[in-house]
Amino acid sequence: MNTNNKFGPRDRPTVRASDGLASEAHPGVGMASKLAGLFPSSLVNYMIALAAIFSLNFILPRLMPGDPLQAIYGQEALVVMSDEMEAQLIRQLSLDKSWWDQLLAYVLGVLQGDLGFSYYYREQVSQVILGALPWTLLLTGLALVLATAIGLILGIESGYARGSSLDRGLVAGLMFLGGFPDFFIGILLLLIFAVSLQVLPISGATSPYAGHEGLAHIVDVLKHLALPLSSMILVQLGGIFLLARNTIVTLLEESFILAARAKGCPERCIKYAHAGRNCLLPLTTATGLRIPQLLTGALFIEIVFSYPGVGSLLNTAIDARDYPLIQGILLVITLTVLTANFLVDMLYSRLDPRVRYAH
Amino acid sequence: MTLSIRNLRLSFGKTEILRGIDLDLEMGDCLALVGESGAGKSTLGLSVMGLSRGSASGEICFKGRSLFGISAEEFRELRGAEMAMVFQNVEDALDPVQRIADQIAEAIKVHSSSTRARDASRLAVRHLSNVGLNKDKAGMYPHQLSGGEKQRALIAMALVNDPDLLILDEPTASLDALTKADIIELLRSAIVGRMCMVITHDLSLAASLAERMAVLYAGRIMEMGRTEEILKGPRHPYTRGLIRSYPAMDATKDLQGILGQMVHGLPGCPFHQRCTQRIDICSLEVPKQTEKEGRIIACHRGGIVPLLEIKALSLTLDCYPVLRDLNISLCEGETVALVGESGSGKTSLSKAIMGLYEPDRGAVILEGRRVEKRDSAFYSRVQMIFQNPRESVSHRMNVLNAVIEPLLVQKKGSHEQRLQRAKKVLSMVELPIDDDFLKRYPHQLSGGEVQRVAIARALALGPKLLIADEPTSALDPSVQAKILKLLMNLQDRMGLAILFITHDIALARKISDRMAVMQSGRIVEEGATNQLLSHPSHPYTRRLVDCASGRYDGGNGDIILDRDVAELIAEPGDQSALEKYC
Repeated sequence: MNTNNKFGPRDRPTVRASDGLASEAHPGVGMASKLAGLFPSSLVNYMIALAAIFSLNFILPRLMPGDPLQAIYGQEALVVMSDEMEAQLIRQLSLDKSWWDQLLAYVLGVLQGDLGFSYYYREQVSQVILGALPWTLLLTGLALVLATAIGLILGIESGYARGSSLDRGLVAGLMFLGGFPDFFIGILLLLIFAVSLQVLPISGATSPYAGHEGLAHIVDVLKHLALPLSSMILVQLGGIFLLARNTIVTLLEESFILAARAKGCPERCIKYAHAGRNCLLPLTTATGLRIPQLLTGALFIEIVFSYPGVGSLLNTAIDARDYPLIQGILLVITLTVLTANFLVDMLYSRLDPRVRYAH
Repeated sequence: MTLSIRNLRLSFGKTEILRGIDLDLEMGDCLALVGESGAGKSTLGLSVMGLSRGSASGEICFKGRSLFGISAEEFRELRGAEMAMVFQNVEDALDPVQRIADQIAEAIKVHSSSTRARDASRLAVRHLSNVGLNKDKAGMYPHQLSGGEKQRALIAMALVNDPDLLILDEPTASLDALTKADIIELLRSAIVGRMCMVITHDLSLAASLAERMAVLYAGRIMEMGRTEEILKGPRHPYTRGLIRSYPAMDATKDLQGILGQMVHGLPGCPFHQRCTQRIDICSLEVPKQTEKEGRIIACHRGGIVPLLEIKALSLTLDCYPVLRDLNISLCEGETVALVGESGSGKTSLSKAIMGLYEPDRGAVILEGRRVEKRDSAFYSRVQMIFQNPRESVSHRMNVLNAVIEPLLVQKKGSHEQRLQRAKKVLSMVELPIDDDFLKRYPHQLSGGEVQRVAIARALALGPKLLIADEPTSALDPSVQAKILKLLMNLQDRMGLAILFITHDIALARKISDRMAVMQSGRIVEEGATNQLLSHPSHPYTRRLVDCASGRYDGGNGDIILDRDVAELIAEPGDQSALEKYC
């Protein structure tokens, strides 16, 4: 992850270019630097991280004592496996060849989307994961966006009215909520809305065999999404809110806020266009850091709500000791986290003009 | 009256930051607000803009509307449109994540919703080019601009809606001299036809922008008047302290600070704790602002007190006129250097003041009262130090006895108190106060130490006026420098007025506020030291200055005399001789 975006507006890296430098760094630059500008130089860092993860995934089963095939597929899978199948797998994984050939086979396989064969589901691991991934992405993506948006707005309003009853109420309430583990809130919501009030479905992502089409299908999906999504948002909200609020409180002391007031900017404009806009910077950084936590949170939530996402899948895979599936899921999750962080990096350099020239 | 502030008070919690400000600004006026940090200058500017957070009372009237009566929205519409503020270019006065042009376009758009975004940006770019930032710069972010360019952008932002009132808050602080000159040039054209307040601690900026100046201290206006006059002749002790501590290019005297620190919320005159001429009433009552000759001063003592005035003093010794119709005055806390060649009557004057000679005519007026007889009260106000300390300090007395002697003569205090006082004055002149040192005799001390003892002795009675007759000419330059620093420190601490008699112009230049040039028993020229030395008007002064600067070829060997003396020497009616001598 790019270290530069760990700075809030208070302790940002000082990239004050002098006159000459600024004019050099500005437009009228060549194609090469324009291309370089599209991707932060931290791209290299991501490549290194990726290579490390692939290597670990490749090396770990082979370092385990005993038969690598056993390490890769697990004891139980081998017991029911026919000799024929075993020979085919050994050939496929190049286990009878040198390490170098094994690595090549592995990398080629991964690049083609081949993560191995799920013994439990009797299907390609990639296929199994692809079936579950959209649900998880829908859940976590929406939770991320909504929690950030709601936290930001509440934080701005609260920080702006610092010390008011609104501010005090929000701080106390959201800190209380943020103290609970994800699954606890999930269970609580489940008990209240699905079991007691019975206004929302208790589990799953869609109503089975309902055969909804079009709009009805969307409503159905949203209905099922409501509870897991709410519990994820509620847990995330506290941290985002507090960060946004405290950033706003310090930002309001900055002289550009005073200058904006002196310009005659209305309150709304000061709140959102100036303070809020600058508040996005530390918030983006924090969001990037929160993504892994969000994904692990999703694992629990999915289990609580039997939501057919990657979390539930991982749960099943662990129960069934479906090693290829577990490895595949971990790989996909790390890839997702890396991609998300990369996007946050890109977003940050869009948001803060000062880091664009920091590399 | 377009902006009038009446009895403006503003407090943060219990501390009152502004304590009754009265100000008037007409269209086209530019007023500088100067003072130390924390004096309330910026707070005053912000309260006019309605941006100060404290609770205010009083009255601010802007173009006939009371600003305290209007709603927040009405005030917002005024801000940026009719009154604008240029902020200091430190930290982030510009939003770091928005382009310059966008920030200026915003200032346009918040005041006219009908303006389209594209027109606003076009206008913004034009305004930026007016302040000297081209189109490329307009598209940049604040961090890509230099300090001077950011200041220009801030100025453009304030001017964009053509406001009637412009408040400049330290507009050139943190800029180098060349950039500062450019910005001042720009500001000069920007303030034309507007009301303008310049908040600064930079006196040269105040001088180059504002024709009027108000000196603020702890939320009160201490002195207000024409900038030029205030800088030339400050009447309030605080103003004088500010000017003395400002490193101006044309100042010759060493920098002197104002002792102590600003404290808000003191009863009485806010400055009284640091004032060297305070009297009892200063800590009890807030001084009223009084206007005299176009200068407003808030001081119970009417500003800096004239300490000594000598009027038409004449002295004849052995039928020879030594002092002739001599006039000189000395204010509290001021150093006047009396220069002139030997025999011009400098020492005679000092002796006449001390009462060692009885003048024929004229008056010595001390603190407003004519001195009839030199009693103990007189000598506890006026003391003298002499050229040769080894002669002026008796070799039969040890340090303690020498310092205690004036107290014994005046029968002041008990033995204990006298000892305490002696130790105090000795530590004031930075001498040790251990018993060993107190028992030393002058021959056991160095020249510089003996002179310090002499100064301590002079200070023992707590005088206000010190006549120093060549106090350092017997000392080597390094010791001399220390003694002079000491005298200037004492001046800071006690408000000591010093009549410094010397023939060393270079020395006088570094230590005196004013200089009086003496020739043949009269003062031929007098004025502020820097003025007098850079533009000497009397030929005798010119000669002195030339000789002191090492230019000896100026004269043709003739002695230049005062007109009266020349008349005595020259034949009656011989005009050419007269001209030659004068």
